[in-house]
Amino acid sequence: MKTLKRRYLHEKIMITFIAFNTVAVLTPLIIILVYVFVQGIGAINLDFFTQELGSPSRAMTGRPTGLVHTIIGTLVVDALAILIALPFGIGAGVMLSEYPDHKLNPVMRVMNDTLNGMPAVLKGLLAWALVVKPMGGFSGLSGGVALAVVMLPIIARSTESALMNIPWSIREAGLAIGLPRWRVIASVVIPASKAGLVTGVLIAFARAVGEAAPLLFTSFGNNYKSSYLLGWTFGPVDTLPQRLYSLAISPYPEWHQLGWAAGIVLLFFVIVSFAIARIVVREKY
Amino acid sequence: MRSVSKLIGLALTLSLLLGINLHGQRRVELIGAGASFPAPLITAMADEYRDATNGRVTINYQSIGSGGGIRQFSEQTIMFGMSEAFLSDEIMKNIEQSTGGRAFNLPITLADVVVTYNVPGIDKGLVFDGPVIADIFLGRITRWNDRRIRNLNPDVRLPRHPIQVVHRSDGSGTTNLWTSYLTKVSDRWANNVGFATSVNWPTGVGANGNEGVAGIVRNTPGAIGYNSFAYALLNNMSYAYLENSAGNVIPPSFDATSAAANIELPTDTRILFTDTPNPIGYPVAGFAWMLCYENMEKNRTISNKQQAEELIRFIIWAITDGQQLSESLGYAQLPSAAIQKSYAMIRQMKWNGEPIGRNILDGN
Repeated sequence: MKTLKRRYLHEKIMITFIAFNTVAVLTPLIIILVYVFVQGIGAINLDFFTQELGSPSRAMTGRPTGLVHTIIGTLVVDALAILIALPFGIGAGVMLSEYPDHKLNPVMRVMNDTLNGMPAVLKGLLAWALVVKPMGGFSGLSGGVALAVVMLPIIARSTESALMNIPWSIREAGLAIGLPRWRVIASVVIPASKAGLVTGVLIAFARAVGEAAPLLFTSFGNNYKSSYLLGWTFGPVDTLPQRLYSLAISPYPEWHQLGWAAGIVLLFFVIVSFAIARIVVREKY
Repeated sequence: MRSVSKLIGLALTLSLLLGINLHGQRRVELIGAGASFPAPLITAMADEYRDATNGRVTINYQSIGSGGGIRQFSEQTIMFGMSEAFLSDEIMKNIEQSTGGRAFNLPITLADVVVTYNVPGIDKGLVFDGPVIADIFLGRITRWNDRRIRNLNPDVRLPRHPIQVVHRSDGSGTTNLWTSYLTKVSDRWANNVGFATSVNWPTGVGANGNEGVAGIVRNTPGAIGYNSFAYALLNNMSYAYLENSAGNVIPPSFDATSAAANIELPTDTRILFTDTPNPIGYPVAGFAWMLCYENMEKNRTISNKQQAEELIRFIIWAITDGQQLSESLGYAQLPSAAIQKSYAMIRQMKWNGEPIGRNILDGN
């Protein structure tokens, strides 16, 4: 028999150990956040949100430059990606959870996991072959397709687990009053698991918003705003992760600072989407 | 009344969607990609040209490397490519087969490479000739006070310090130019190493990018490397003067680089003129080329004649007025020999058989 004292001591050691580990996990995150913030905050001003980037000599000679076209481009490309990935991702998730006996499911599950583990640059290559080449040019749309493929497996998986959380008794209640199966899914299961679905989509968004590799040869990049509205979809557009990369490898200190500032905006997007995800979930329970 | 305002609304929406400005002119985006070396110049030209056309013509240039530029140009996903190496015979032949016309290599600016070094107490201006610098990069001359270096620099007190060679570890146009020079001035280099965007270096340490080489050279007493002239100037590095094929010692300068290219050029300008025959030319210089199709309608990215015409106008502007931007950004201006060859090529550019290049040059 252990003495009470020893048990207390044991508990204290364990709590210290857990607290230490928590801090150890959080430290790198905080270091990244603080460092990006400190490095980039100097470049965040009105110009940053209203001006186009242009050439490096613009920044070197102190003329106004910014990333307004990059921020708009990121929102456009990511919105396109969500629009494309949503129906397929939710559909696959519904199939996996609501029709568990379907013959295609084991294959689909393996393929979904493979897709999830595939390097993102290959997804860019896929979009290049499927969209850029046939359409004869780089476009925001092709970037959206590439990111949609990044999002797809994440949405499918999270949809599946969100729907699985709904007890079978609720489905049975719907079936008992004579609803067909699709109606039960559309009107009972999906509304009940709304919070989980939204969370999944936002996680997929947060994951895709930071991807640079699939955009290199799809949305391509642009130093300016598109000169016509449809150009945001059918012409080359700039995106934050890709621009951040090219700013970071450039030899100009002014551009390095712009890159850090782009990092702040990108982090802001990710943090906001996760915050929304948390709020949506809390509302439910 | 309501139908009128509806009509105006529709017209406004359409003009926004399609990008037609108030004067009824359609805005044009020209999309190009390729070599990173000329990117600062091309994007500065893009800024300038956009202002000059009141925002009507936007040039979107992304630096993806020379290899990427050639590749995307052949795949026809960009309107023009940019490369520090001219198109190979094989690529030229493939393009001729697939488009029924030639691919043009239009010189757009000049690249020059200087020898940078860090010898304590010695500023810029050490003199090297071809065989000596090749033997240094071959590892055959290992000390700064080697007799052959002293003979070239009789007035300089050289230390008995070991030489540390620094080279690029990534594939680069700078390396291509530099090794092409070494290949021309040294048989031993030509037989053992040769030239390419990356080679098997017989000695020395590798570093990534211009900044990597510069960083090691600056921090290592006794180091010697090579950088683009613009980069060496921007970063206040000591650089060497090279003896050219005519036996003249040439301090690197924009004029000497332009002079190097002011020679008898082939009509397609596909030539490496390192170790230039021009007696006042700097020996390690080369073109950066813009890549274009002769039959412009065959490039699937160019969707209408107006885009093709605007591209031609931009090229003409870039090789003439646009060259004024060169020196402030660290580039040498194109010599007239290159501009004349480009004009001859622009004259042959067609849209569905219509000689639009000639029409624009003749002022229509």
